[in-house]
Amino acid sequence: MIKISNLHKSFGDLHVLKGIDLQVNQGDIIAIIGPSGSGKSTLLHCINKLEEPTVGHIFIDNEDIMSPECNINAVRQKVGMVFQHFNLFPHKKVIENITLAPILVKKVPEMYALQMAEKLLKKVGLEEKADVYPSKLSGGQKQRIAIARALAMEPEVILFDEPTSALDPEMIKEVLDVMKDLAKEGMTMLIVTHEMGFAKNVANRLLFMDGGKIVEDTDPKTFFENPKSERAKEFLDKVLNK
Amino acid sequence: MENYLNLLYNIFIVDDRYMLLVNGLIFTLGVTFVAAVIGIILGMLLSIMMIADLRPFKSIKSQKLAFLRNFNPVAKIALVYITVIRGTPTVVQLFILANVIFIGSLKNTPIFVTASLAFGLNSAAYVAEIIRAGIQGLDKGQLEAARALGMSYKLSMRVVVIPQAVKKIMPALVSEFIVLLKETSVVSMIGGVDLTFAAKSIISVTYRAAEPWIVVALIYLALITIFTYFMRKIEKRLRESD
Repeated sequence: MIKISNLHKSFGDLHVLKGIDLQVNQGDIIAIIGPSGSGKSTLLHCINKLEEPTVGHIFIDNEDIMSPECNINAVRQKVGMVFQHFNLFPHKKVIENITLAPILVKKVPEMYALQMAEKLLKKVGLEEKADVYPSKLSGGQKQRIAIARALAMEPEVILFDEPTSALDPEMIKEVLDVMKDLAKEGMTMLIVTHEMGFAKNVANRLLFMDGGKIVEDTDPKTFFENPKSERAKEFLDKVLNK
Repeated sequence: MENYLNLLYNIFIVDDRYMLLVNGLIFTLGVTFVAAVIGIILGMLLSIMMIADLRPFKSIKSQKLAFLRNFNPVAKIALVYITVIRGTPTVVQLFILANVIFIGSLKNTPIFVTASLAFGLNSAAYVAEIIRAGIQGLDKGQLEAARALGMSYKLSMRVVVIPQAVKKIMPALVSEFIVLLKETSVVSMIGGVDLTFAAKSIISVTYRAAEPWIVVALIYLALITIFTYFMRKIEKRLRESD
């Protein structure tokens, strides 16, 4: 459903992505790991064109988002995103955060959007928070709301950009549990993460990135037990034996 | 005591001299109001000119002309305007408008118009900077989150960015209009009949300087106190979600 070929991204003189080729299939749960600065986040941001790729092609459901005729707003409705810093809208109540885009973008009738939002709030275990403002929530709660907000657009795939990196340790689990549920339901997910346990146990594919390239694309078990590249071995040694 | 009351009576009441103050007050408020309206409208326009990413030569291919890719003429115009206005004293601008620009067939332009225009053009530069800083100072993740949900740039600005920016901008904008109200006190230098003109007129016939100036000071203080009181109330309501 997503096909990326020869993707390059430069910020001025800084060459961040150096030729990414990737095929994402329906139902894939892909964990993307690698040292900081390796281009993991930039790759995610290119997939929904929050960052303009410099060179290359990205097809989402066979539509080339690099083509000038592509309506990126329509494509983005199919590609949800969850951010490291949640990015909830602080001036809107929780329920409005969830219903805003369905009502304004998808033109879903308000009644239906509200019903759906309530269902999603129940799903992430926060139905009692519908009428509070995000500033009253803990980090873990914010991220669960952010996931509900992404789900409200009924996306085909969700991009998670380090969803637990800004959380206090005791809140990481509640967010990962929601993500696990999504994985069980068959949602296609791309997850940039530092949670090695999650990558190992939930993902069905693991990408190891370094220096703007995908160095390994394999199943998680193989990667953790038997990494092929030197760089992956080094990386695992650092993160697992800290 | 009675003598002093008598004196005040002689200064302000005899010959209806208080009417000078009343008319001065109306002139001051009128100029401030018209200038504020001009300032807000032109200020918004200037800030949009700076924020909108209008680079007509963005996709130029020639390497020789590559420097044109980042050329944004609209933003440049706004920037030059702001630099000139903020780089010269208000009084000087007032004199230039009255004595250099509004001459010939424009010579008979009412001073109210000249003054309102001068202060409005001046205020716009400051308002533009306040709005620009408010919008650009907003967490970039807010726009990203809105765009990732499929909202167009315009819609994202309207429902996500601007409502939050307004809240942040309010205190600075209130300060700007307080400054504006007080700055209009130099308008008598080009013949404007404002509060300071009233004070000078009263002094010239009563030979008493202290009382008229103190009364004028109290009028300004009262105006600004009332204005601030209402603005605080509005700000408080806007802060509801924090």
